[in-house]
Amino acid sequence: METLAHAERALAIFGGIIVFFVAAIALRNDWKSTGIENQVFKLMLGLLALGAILGILAALGVLIGKGVGA
Amino acid sequence: MTAASVTQAGFVGRHAEEPDQLYRETRELRIQGFLLFMVSDLVLFSSFIFAYLYLRNSGQGWPGPGAPKLDIALAAVNSIVLFGSGATMHFALENWKHSNFTKFANWIVLTIILGAGFLTGQVLEYVHIGASWSSGIFGASFYTLTGMHGFHVFCGIIYLTVLLLQALQGKYTFCKYTGLTLGTLYWHFVDVIWVVLFSIFYLL
Repeated sequence: METLAHAERALAIFGGIIVFFVAAIALRNDWKSTGIENQVFKLMLGLLALGAILGILAALGVLIGKGVGA
Repeated sequence: MTAASVTQAGFVGRHAEEPDQLYRETRELRIQGFLLFMVSDLVLFSSFIFAYLYLRNSGQGWPGPGAPKLDIALAAVNSIVLFGSGATMHFALENWKHSNFTKFANWIVLTIILGAGFLTGQVLEYVHIGASWSSGIFGASFYTLTGMHGFHVFCGIIYLTVLLLQALQGKYTFCKYTGLTLGTLYWHFVDVIWVVLFSIFYLL
C-alpha cells in the first residue's frame, strides 16, 4: 500500500512537470493571438499550469488539507 | 468505408470550403453564447463551493468526527490526468488549425481516454474513502461537488466523442470549426473547475 502511494506520488510529480511545461509553452505560443476565445484559452492555460503546480506540491506533501489522510 | 478513406475524402472537402459571410458574422456570437453558458455553469459551481466554504468556517473542529480521510496521492495523480487531458485537447485543436487531421484525431482520442481515466480514478477514490453522502457536511459537500464535476466530465467525454464523429464525417472544415473551439473551451472549463475543487478539498 505504501509502495503504491509512493508510485502515485512519483507519477503525479512527473506528470505534473510535463503538464506545467506544456501549458506554459502553449500559453507562450498563444500569447499574441487575438479573439475572445483565445483570451479565454490563455486564462485557462494559465490556470492549468497553476493546477499542475498545485498537484506537484500536493504529491510532494508540501500542501495537505485538514480532511486529507497522511 | 474505412477511417483512412473518410480521412482522405474529408481532407479535400475540408480545404475546399471557405467560410461564408453568414459564418463570419455569427461566429463571435456563437462563441459569446457558449461563454454565457459557461458563466451560468460557473455560477452553479460557485454557489456550492461558497456554501461549502461557509459551512466549513462556521463550525468548530473541521472536518469533524466521522469525516472521510481523503487520499492525497490518488487525488494528485487523478488531477494530473485531468490537467493532462486539457493539454492534449489543446494539441488537438492546434493540429486542426494546422490542417493535420490525423494528429487531431489522435489527440482528441487521447483526451477522451484521459477523461475516462479521471472518472475511473474518481470512482476508485469513492470506494477507497468508504464514506457516504450522509457522512456529515464534509461528506455531503464532497460527494455533491465532485459528483457534479464528474457528471460534467462524463458529458464532456460524450461531447468530444460526438465532435470527433462529426469531424470524421466532414462536418467541420479547416476554415469552419467553431464547434471544435467550443468543445475545447468546455473541456478547459472542466479542468479549471477541478483546480478549484482539488484546492478546497485536498489542499485547504
